[in-house]
Amino acid sequence: MEDQKAPETKEEPDLQYVQYEPAKEEQFLPAIRQLISKDLSEPYSIYVYRYFLYQWGYLCYMTLDANNSLIGVIVCKLEPHRSGTFRGYIAMLAVQETYRGRGIATNLVRLAIEAMASRSADEIVLETEVTNTASLKLYERLGFLRSKRLHRYYLNGNAAFRLILYLKEGTALKRPDPAGQGHGHVHEHGHEHGYGMGIESGMTS
Amino acid sequence: MADASLRHSTASAQDQNTILTNNESGCSKAQEQPLRHPLGGITPKIHDVTEKFTKACNALEVGQLVKDDYFTLFESIGAIEIMDPKMDSGFLQPGETLEDDYDCLTPLLPEELIGIMDQLLCYEMAWHTGYPLSQTLFTSLYIDKLLWPETRILERAQFYRGDIPDDKRPGPLLQVLRAYCLALIKGCDFVIAKIAARDYFEEEDFCTQTYNRVLFVSIPMDVFLRELDSAMEVVEDESLEINTALRSAIHSRLEFRKDFLRAQDLDLPLDLISYSWPTILENLGTLKNTHQLGQVVPGAFSTKMQRRLASTVPPRPIVELEFKDALEKLQQLCTDCKEATRFISLPQDPLEYQSFLWFFASRSPAPLAYSRSYLATLLFHPDVLQTSVSLPLSDVKTLVFPASPVLDPVNWTFSPPRNPMLPKPPRLQLAMLVDEFVDRCGQPYLDLWVALGQNRCRLRRMLTHVITGWDMLQADASSVDADISQAAEELGITDQVLEFSLSTWVYHKKLWMIEKIILLGFEQDIYLPDEFSGMYLFLSLIATRRKELLKRVEAHYLRRGEQLLKSRNLRDAQEVDDAGPYLDSLLAEAEGVASLSLALARFYIILLYLHMLPLPKRPFAKEELRYELRMKPFLSLQPPEAPPFEDFKAHTQPYGDFAAPDPAFQLDLNDMASDLWTEVDRHLKAAKEAFADVKKMGPKAVKAEGVATAWNKDVQSALASCIALGVAVAGVKGAVSKTNAASSESLGIKVVIPESGAGKRYAEGWIVAKILKME
Ligand SMILES: CC(C)(COP(=O)(O)OP(=O)(O)OC[C@H]1O[C@@H](n2cnc3c(N)ncnc32)[C@H](O)[C@@H]1OP(=O)(O)O)[C@@H](O)C(=O)NCCC(=O)NCCS
Repeated sequence: MEDQKAPETKEEPDLQYVQYEPAKEEQFLPAIRQLISKDLSEPYSIYVYRYFLYQWGYLCYMTLDANNSLIGVIVCKLEPHRSGTFRGYIAMLAVQETYRGRGIATNLVRLAIEAMASRSADEIVLETEVTNTASLKLYERLGFLRSKRLHRYYLNGNAAFRLILYLKEGTALKRPDPAGQGHGHVHEHGHEHGYGMGIESGMTS
Repeated sequence: MADASLRHSTASAQDQNTILTNNESGCSKAQEQPLRHPLGGITPKIHDVTEKFTKACNALEVGQLVKDDYFTLFESIGAIEIMDPKMDSGFLQPGETLEDDYDCLTPLLPEELIGIMDQLLCYEMAWHTGYPLSQTLFTSLYIDKLLWPETRILERAQFYRGDIPDDKRPGPLLQVLRAYCLALIKGCDFVIAKIAARDYFEEEDFCTQTYNRVLFVSIPMDVFLRELDSAMEVVEDESLEINTALRSAIHSRLEFRKDFLRAQDLDLPLDLISYSWPTILENLGTLKNTHQLGQVVPGAFSTKMQRRLASTVPPRPIVELEFKDALEKLQQLCTDCKEATRFISLPQDPLEYQSFLWFFASRSPAPLAYSRSYLATLLFHPDVLQTSVSLPLSDVKTLVFPASPVLDPVNWTFSPPRNPMLPKPPRLQLAMLVDEFVDRCGQPYLDLWVALGQNRCRLRRMLTHVITGWDMLQADASSVDADISQAAEELGITDQVLEFSLSTWVYHKKLWMIEKIILLGFEQDIYLPDEFSGMYLFLSLIATRRKELLKRVEAHYLRRGEQLLKSRNLRDAQEVDDAGPYLDSLLAEAEGVASLSLALARFYIILLYLHMLPLPKRPFAKEELRYELRMKPFLSLQPPEAPPFEDFKAHTQPYGDFAAPDPAFQLDLNDMASDLWTEVDRHLKAAKEAFADVKKMGPKAVKAEGVATAWNKDVQSALASCIALGVAVAGVKGAVSKTNAASSESLGIKVVIPESGAGKRYAEGWIVAKILKME
C-alpha cells in the first residue's frame, strides 16, 4: 500500500507526510513513543503501539522534517464494532510543541480520514478531554460532532467528549449482526471506558 | 444497556425487581467480599523455558507481533514494561529502598496526631470523589499496619504484629490514632458495601477495589464504637499532659468519627437515619477551626505502599486534596445524605418519588456516588415502598384513569368461569388486562428510576436506552388498549374510558424523557453553537407533541366530569376534578418548554444568518449525516419522532444557505413586523406566561411537594431564561435597526455563549446567548 500522498502544505515545503510501515519500527517507534508520552500522565507500554501499528500501520501517518525527524503522528484502527458499524478510531495524535498551530495535526487527521473512508469506514470516533480546546477545535472544524460526555474518563479524573464523524448514510441504523460471529471471539463486555489512559478499549466482536 | 456491562454492577437488579412488584422478600446486602485463597496443597512444578523462548524470539522481525485473537487492546493497555520506572512499580532507582523506614511506633506529638487525622480525612474524601484507595487512604503506613498481615481479631490489629518489648508499646496518642483508623476503615467497609449493592460504574463513579485487604467486614460496628469511646477516655484523662485546645481538637475528631461511622451503618433503622447527618454537619466547623493546630507528618504516607497492594499497576501519584476542599466534599456528602433521608417521609406517590429523584440528580454540585447509593438504598428499601397499590398503577391512574370504570375495585371481585372455554366477564377482563399491563411495566419503570440515580453523563446516555424500553412498552400498551376498549364496548361504557389510555400514559412519559435527554445534551455541552437552533427546534417539536397528547386527556376529563355530574355521581366527579391541577400543570409546563425552545430556535436561526455564531467548514461532514448522528437515539422510536432531513433543513434554514441567504432575509430582518421577529416575541411571551402559570399552580399540583424549594428554583430559572432571551433579542433588534444592517459585521455587537456548570446560565439546559456591544 503506497498511500504516501502529500496534502496541500504549501506553507511548509520542508515537511513531508509519510505512512508508517512495520519495517520502519526501529527508525520511528522510539520517536513516536516519546512524542505521544509527553502529554500522558502514564506511558503506554510498547504493546499498545504495536497493537495498532502492526495491525493498522496503513492508518498511521507521520510528519517528518527535512532530517526525517518526527514532527507529528496519528495512530488509528479500523474494525467492525459491536454496534454493527465498521468503525475507525483515532487512538493517538500529537504534534511537537514548537510546530503546533500550523495545521499539521489537521493534515494528519485529513490523511487518516481519507484512508479510513477509502476502506469503507462507516464512522470515525475518538475521545478527547473536555478541556482540550485545540483538539476539539481541530476535529470539530473538520466535521466531528460530540456524541457523549464521559464522566471521569481519564486517570486524572477529567471528563472526555466522544466525537464522531459519520462517513456513510444509514450508520445510525446499523445493528449488530446476530449471525455474524465470523470474526473470532465474541467478548461479552464492552468497555465504554478504557484504562483511564485515554484510549477506548471497547472490544469488538 | 450493552455499553455498560463490565463496569456496571448489576448485583442488585433482582432486589429492586422484587420490591417494585411489591414482593415480600427483602433486600439482601452484598456485604461479603470474596477472599482470595492460595491454592492449597499443590506444589508448583517449575519448567525453565528461557532458552526455548529466546530461540523462538530470534526468529521474529523487530515490530512483528505475535498475538492470537484473544489478545485485545484492553490487554495491551493493561500491560506494563518491567524495569521501566514509570510502569514498573517494583523498579528501584539507584539507592532507593523498597520500603519506607518510617516507624509507626514512634511516639506522636498531639499536633502530629491531629495532622495525621486530618490528612486521613483528606484522602478519605479523595477516595469518595472517585480515586482508588491505592492513591489515597492506602498510602497511609498506619492503615497498612492495621490491615496487613490480615487478622480477624481486632485486638491484634495493631501498628505492630506479635510481641514487642514493653518500652516499644504504643503510647496513649498512638492508641487514639489506632481507634480513629480502625473506625475509618470500618466506615470504608460500609461505604463499599452500600455502593456495591447498587447500580454504579466501577472506576468511573467509584473504586471499590481493596487490594485483598479485608476491611473488618465481619467485625460489628459496636466494637469500633467502643474503641472510639476508650480513645475518648484516654484523651479526657487529666493525667494526659496536653494543652486544652489540642485535647479538645483531638476529642472532636474522635466524636466526628463516631458520628460518621454510625451514620454509615448499614443496619441503622429507618426511623433513626434522619438524625445522623445534622449532628455531623453541626460539628464540621470545629474540625475546620482547629485544623491549623495540626502538624503534617509527611513520612506517614507513601506512594511506596502501592508496591504492596498491586504489582501490575504502574505507580501512581498520591491524590492530594486540600483540607478545606476535603471538608467541603464532606459537607456536601452529609448535606446530600441528609436530603436523601427526606425520601422516606415523602407523600406515597410514585410521581413525588420521581420528582425527588430528578431533583436529587440535579443538585449542584452533583451528589457523590455514596450519596446516590444512599438514596437508592432508601428508594428500594422494602419498608419504604409499602404502598398497597403498585407504583406504576398509581402513576397510570393519576394521569389517565381518575374515576375510571377500568380501575373500579369491583372488577377484581369477579372469578373466572369454571369452564375455561367460556368467555370471561368483561369486568374481570378489565382487571386482568390492567394487572397484566402493570406487571409488564415493572422493568421499564425500574429502568427509569435506576437511570435517575446515575451520574449526570450516564443519566443522559441511559435515558436514551430507557426510552427504547418504553417504546416497546408503548407498543404493548396499544394492544392492551385495544382489548380494554373491546371490553368497554361490551359493557357499554366506551364513552367513560379515554381512548388509548395506557399508550397515552406510556407515550407521555417517553416524550418527557426525550425532552430531558435533549436538555441534558445542552447542559453537557454536547451541541455546538450552530446546532442550537436545530436541537431547540426538535425539543419544541417533542414538547408540542406532549402538549397535544395532554390536550386529549384534558378533553376526556371534561367529558367525564360532565357525565358524572349528570348522573349525580358527585364523588367520582370530585375525583376527576381533583386530577385537574396535575394535568393543568403538566400542560402549562409542556407549553412552556415548547414555546421557550421554539423562541430560542428562531433566535439562533437569526444569529446564524447574521454570521454571529461559529460555523465550522466541515470539509468531511455531510449535513444529512450529522443530522442522522444527532437523531440516532430517536430513530427507532414509534411513532417516529425525528422529522425527515428535508423538513428539518427547511425549518432550520428558511432562507437557504447561511453563507448566501435569500434576499428575503435582509428584508425581513429590517422589518420589525416580519415573522422573523414577531414569532420570536410571540413564543417568548407564551413561554413566560406558561412558566408563570406553572409557578402559580405550585409544586403540589405537579407532585413535587417533597422538593418544593428545588422545584421553585427550577421554575424561576426557566422564567429567568425567558427574560434573558428577551434582553438578547432586544439587543440584536436594536443593533439591526440602528445600523440598517448592510452587513452583519457592522452591527457592532457580539455573541457570548455562557459556559456550562459555571453558574453563568440561569438554567443549564437553556442556553441563552448574551449579546454584548463591541467597544
Ligand atoms: C492537539 C494537537 C495535536 C494539535 O496540533 P496542531 O498541529 O497544533 O493542530 P492544528 O494547527 O492543525 O489545529 C489546531 C487548532 O486549534 C487551535 N488551537 C491551538 N491551541 C489552542 C488553544 N489553546 N485554544 C484554542 N485554540 C487552540 C489552533 O489555532 C488551530 O485552530 P485554527 O486553525 O482555527 O487556528 C496538539 O496540540 C498536540 O499535540 N497536543 C497534545 C496531544 C493531544 O492533545 N492530542 C489530542 C488528543 S486526541
